[in-house]
Amino acid sequence: MNNIKEKISAMYDGELNSSEVDELIEVLNQNKDMQKQLSLYSLINVAANHHSNELNPIESNKKSFKEIFSNIWFSNGLTAAATLLITLTFINYSDFSRLNENIDSTNQISDAINSKEAQLIAQRSEEYITDHVMKVLNDPSYMNTSNRIDLRNVGFNVNSKDGYSYIKGNEKFQLRIENKDFGLKNIRYWKHGNKMIYLVPLDNGKVVTLYGNISISSAREIAKSLNK
Amino acid sequence: MKKNSHDIDSELIKKAKQGNHGAFNILTSKYYPRVYASIFSFIKSREDSEDLSQQTFIKVWQQLDSFRGDSAFFTWVYRIAINLAKNFVTSSGFKKQKINTSIEDTEIDISSFNDIESTVIHDESLEEINDYIDTLPESLKTAFVLREVEGKSYEDIAIITQTPIGTVRSRIFRARESIVEFIEKEIISNE
Repeated sequence: MNNIKEKISAMYDGELNSSEVDELIEVLNQNKDMQKQLSLYSLINVAANHHSNELNPIESNKKSFKEIFSNIWFSNGLTAAATLLITLTFINYSDFSRLNENIDSTNQISDAINSKEAQLIAQRSEEYITDHVMKVLNDPSYMNTSNRIDLRNVGFNVNSKDGYSYIKGNEKFQLRIENKDFGLKNIRYWKHGNKMIYLVPLDNGKVVTLYGNISISSAREIAKSLNK
Repeated sequence: MKKNSHDIDSELIKKAKQGNHGAFNILTSKYYPRVYASIFSFIKSREDSEDLSQQTFIKVWQQLDSFRGDSAFFTWVYRIAINLAKNFVTSSGFKKQKINTSIEDTEIDISSFNDIESTVIHDESLEEINDYIDTLPESLKTAFVLREVEGKSYEDIAIITQTPIGTVRSRIFRARESIVEFIEKEIISNE
């Protein structure tokens, strides 16, 4: 029995040989207890990543940074509602304390979220971003593209080991260019575990995604460089 | 030749598309907890998260033929889950709303998946599990964390820990078994 369970564990990790997979699928097909075992391993994954799975928009306290990066916490109106909706998708709809808003503002935002207009705006403009960010997080091949930008002027070189990531000292990230703007007017960014995701709209209507261990100051440098 | 997680999913999806309910149940077993956790993280209601998770997999089953494999399977499932949850939140103004689709109307049985997830996936239990992981023997904990948290392959872990791949596989399994035992004894039985 332990031998089967060990194979389920390896299958969950995608570390099983072809010959073992078919055999195991048959076993799992016929045995609900073993399916439960697979489910428990998935549940353990949820527990182990309990903290790192929180995808948190970040509010910077640095004024100079705010001048360049418009964070997702806007103060009023439908833009806030639209922006908030995706944020809440990743965090917790009731977690208004993160906004540092007073109760009146919170109520306004709540009303805005629930208005039909806000819902339409949110659904149209944010679903693309939601999908995109989820692909970045869940599909390792998604960021592995042939897009290249010369970032040597800000100190980043293409990593010769893999040929697609950019490195500078301890910083390492991947880059992807979209031929659509997602409706983005300003840079948006999130923290996922110990990595960052930045969506940088360019003047030419494209959007660059930066994903990896990259500091805010480096991302700011790259954003400036790309929009020159 | 080794099959990675995507290959295995593709094979299961192919079988499920051919009407193999067992293959679909395996996919559901594998991803149900993650879907439930994602929904629960912002719905914060066990009952609604259960309903929405079930609804998600019913939709996945119904729309499986439209999955072309352009993205990872979980990305596609996640999108369905989030859209359902988003509609639930916006259409009800965060008020409780029952899900309409009946499980009896579908060809698959996902009713049994909720028991463990609804018991375990809340902040307190997840913290308890994390605390338990910290108490695992160092060799098991290292292999487990490198795999589950850092996402390293068995081969990478073998190099990092300077142990054979077979030992890595065994350590990760033993760590998981130990955690499963803890969940069953300390969390599920105390609920």
